[in-house]
Amino acid sequence: MAELERDPQHGSAKRQQRVQAFTNNMQHASLERQLLASQAAKAELDIKLREKELQIERLERDKRWLYQRETEERETREKEGAEREEERRQSDAEIRSLRASLSALRDTHVELQEAHSTLSRTHSQEVSSAKTRLVTLEHQTRTLEDELADYRRLADERGDALREAQQRAEDLEIAVQSSRREEADSASWPMIRDELHRQAEYMRTLENTNARQAAELARLKEKHASIEVLREEKLTLERRLAGMEEMRGRVVGLEAQLDAARREREEWVKKGNVGPRASDTSISVTQTLSALRLEHARLLEEHGATVAHLRSREAELVGAEQRTSGLQDHASTLETETRALKDKVAAREHRAELAEREIGFLQALLASYTAEEGTKDDSGGVDEVLAQRVHQLESASAELKAANVVLQNALERAEEENMLGGARRTRPELLEELERERDAAEASRLELEEARNAAQSHLDNIETLEQTLFELRGKIGTGSHVPPGIRVLSLRDNPAQQWTDLRQEAMDRLKHENEALIKRLKQLGDAGARVDTTEGESNADGSHAPREDLVPRESWEVLDREKKELEELVKQKEKRLLRLQQVFASKSAEFREAIASILGLKLAFYPNGQVRVTSIYDLEAAFVFQPAGKSAEGGVEGARMQLVAQSEGGPQDLPQMMRYWVEEEQCIPGFLASVTLECYDKSKREEAL
Amino acid sequence: MATKQAPTRQAITLKGSTNLVTEFFKYAANTILFQRGVYPSDDFHMVKKYGQTVLVTQDLALENYLDRILSQVNKWLLTGSVTQLVLAIISKDSRVTLERWVFDVNLVEPPADSTTPSAPKPESEIQAEIRYILKQIVSTVTFLPIIDEPTVFNILAYTHESADVPADEWVDTDPLAIEASKSQQVKLRSFSTDVHRIEAMVAYRYEG
Repeated sequence: MAELERDPQHGSAKRQQRVQAFTNNMQHASLERQLLASQAAKAELDIKLREKELQIERLERDKRWLYQRETEERETREKEGAEREEERRQSDAEIRSLRASLSALRDTHVELQEAHSTLSRTHSQEVSSAKTRLVTLEHQTRTLEDELADYRRLADERGDALREAQQRAEDLEIAVQSSRREEADSASWPMIRDELHRQAEYMRTLENTNARQAAELARLKEKHASIEVLREEKLTLERRLAGMEEMRGRVVGLEAQLDAARREREEWVKKGNVGPRASDTSISVTQTLSALRLEHARLLEEHGATVAHLRSREAELVGAEQRTSGLQDHASTLETETRALKDKVAAREHRAELAEREIGFLQALLASYTAEEGTKDDSGGVDEVLAQRVHQLESASAELKAANVVLQNALERAEEENMLGGARRTRPELLEELERERDAAEASRLELEEARNAAQSHLDNIETLEQTLFELRGKIGTGSHVPPGIRVLSLRDNPAQQWTDLRQEAMDRLKHENEALIKRLKQLGDAGARVDTTEGESNADGSHAPREDLVPRESWEVLDREKKELEELVKQKEKRLLRLQQVFASKSAEFREAIASILGLKLAFYPNGQVRVTSIYDLEAAFVFQPAGKSAEGGVEGARMQLVAQSEGGPQDLPQMMRYWVEEEQCIPGFLASVTLECYDKSKREEAL
Repeated sequence: MATKQAPTRQAITLKGSTNLVTEFFKYAANTILFQRGVYPSDDFHMVKKYGQTVLVTQDLALENYLDRILSQVNKWLLTGSVTQLVLAIISKDSRVTLERWVFDVNLVEPPADSTTPSAPKPESEIQAEIRYILKQIVSTVTFLPIIDEPTVFNILAYTHESADVPADEWVDTDPLAIEASKSQQVKLRSFSTDVHRIEAMVAYRYEG
């Protein structure tokens, strides 16, 4: 047991020991394992360390190499930097210089631009001026060319003239040579020339006289013609004058007859005066007298006629004289014309004379030449030729002269025609113009016709338009037509619109109400079962709480509005009533006061119709009246009063007065008046006391 | 001097004439409304005008309405942009136009050839003409069909397209025409100032 007891302790210790040993073993083993492992790790690490060291060494080497490289590079870089710096500086300097040069160049550019612009301006100016100059020069050149052409023409003409002149000169030279030769040959030349001169002189004088005489002849012929005319006129006038003379003679004769007749009549009258008794002769006398009177009358008539004739003749004479004077004027103008013509003719003839003289001279010359030729036959051939040539030339010159004359005549005729006035020259023009005018007139007539037609059509148109206008006016009146360009306007807020708005509003309201009712009806139809309980009460008032929704809101609103309106109306009415009451009260007070002050009585109206009357002089004298029943009075008057009560006070003889006035006379106003008098006396007496 | 004076005189005449015409419209409209029973006759009171008594409404709303129209018409008359004024009487129930009282406004052309203006028309003469028209309006009751239904009225203004219209007050509207087959027309008298000439006419619905 002990062992057992020990044993367990021992065993447990042993066990503990064993466990500890085991654990120690185990720890040991594990530690060894750890050691081994750590050794292995150490070896491994050593290897690694060595490797690292190797690596480090290599890296160190590399580093060193790299450092070297770096230093090298740095050096090179520094060098390069220095170079850069240098270069930069150089480039800066360069840039600066370039900038300077740029600015300089800009300045020069600007200057150049300015110069360019000025130059361009001047250039344009120059160009324009040059253009203008060019134009002017062109113009000048044109004019100069024209002039040149003119001059050229002139020069040609001159050249022609010159050539002609040379020709002539050559001819003349030839002639001169020949003549010289002849002159040299002949000694009698001066004599012949003199003779020729003399003859030419003579010829000239003859021609002169001839021309003068011809001119005179022409003038005289003209004069003669006009004189002939005048003479004829004169002759006719003289013939008329002779007629006049005859008439005058007749007039004288008639006057003489008249005188004689007068004398005879006077005699007759005397005779009549002397012997009225000669009744037998009176008949014959009266007969003769009447005959004589007739004669006298006739003679007077004749005289008048002759006088009238004379007057007409005189008028004719005057007309004739005027005509003669006109004719004379005409003659004088004609004479002047003829003189001018004669002058011209003289000039012509003079020229002709000159020409003829020349011809004569030349002919003489020729004759002399031919004579000479006849005398001298030795130089025959050449002279013959020359003579022929001269002949030819002469004939040519004669032809030319004739042509010249013809041309001159033509020229004169043309001038005359010119001188005779533009009318003749423009006659064709006038005719043309007339034709044109006629055409224009025709055209305008046609136009007029057209215009008239157009006017007619326009009038018709106007008529139809007026008709339509009338119709349209009617249409506008009924409002079924609105003219174009016209707006129909009305105020937005006009009575018609207000009315329609009002109606629309009512309509809308009813519609809403209707809709709500229909809805309600449908609901009720759906509900079905409850119909019998709610039927017939849809229009009942909405105050009933459980049936509030039976009436649609819309109809309730309508009713509410109506109610409000009615309330408003009631309020207004009440107000008016109040106002009326006030007015009535004030009026009745006024009335009472008036009664009191006028009649001396105070009135108080009771609601039952009775009236209490109190005198203002004695307040104790009060009476109450009641309107009498209508049945009692019959129909005499509306409201008769009946005295029903009286107060204790009042005048002493009141019962007496009452008896007299009320019972006997039945006159309440009289009773009241006497009561008023009594009361007044009483109050006065009391005041005096 | 004469040329300077003429326009001012013209301007005064135009303004005076415009006022005259506007006033005429006022009384004519009142007379028609009274005579045709558009408003109850209690609403009207008598006024002395143009040498006779004229009935003029006391209805404030109506007065206000007429005043607003007439002030605008006055402006239009000054610019010459109104050509016609129409007072249409409409049935309340059927909304059919029963009567159209038409007043044509024409500008009187001054005679082109006369350099000296013709003597101005005396105002008494113009008033007499206006009086005749008003009397004629009264007398139309004798031939116009009796209106035995409630009516309202509206006033239309025919203006040029170019007229200056206050858009918030005036609106384009239907011309309230009477069917052509059922309409009768009676031309009334006219009156003229030196500037305006007013021609009156009544067209009414007549189903005979």
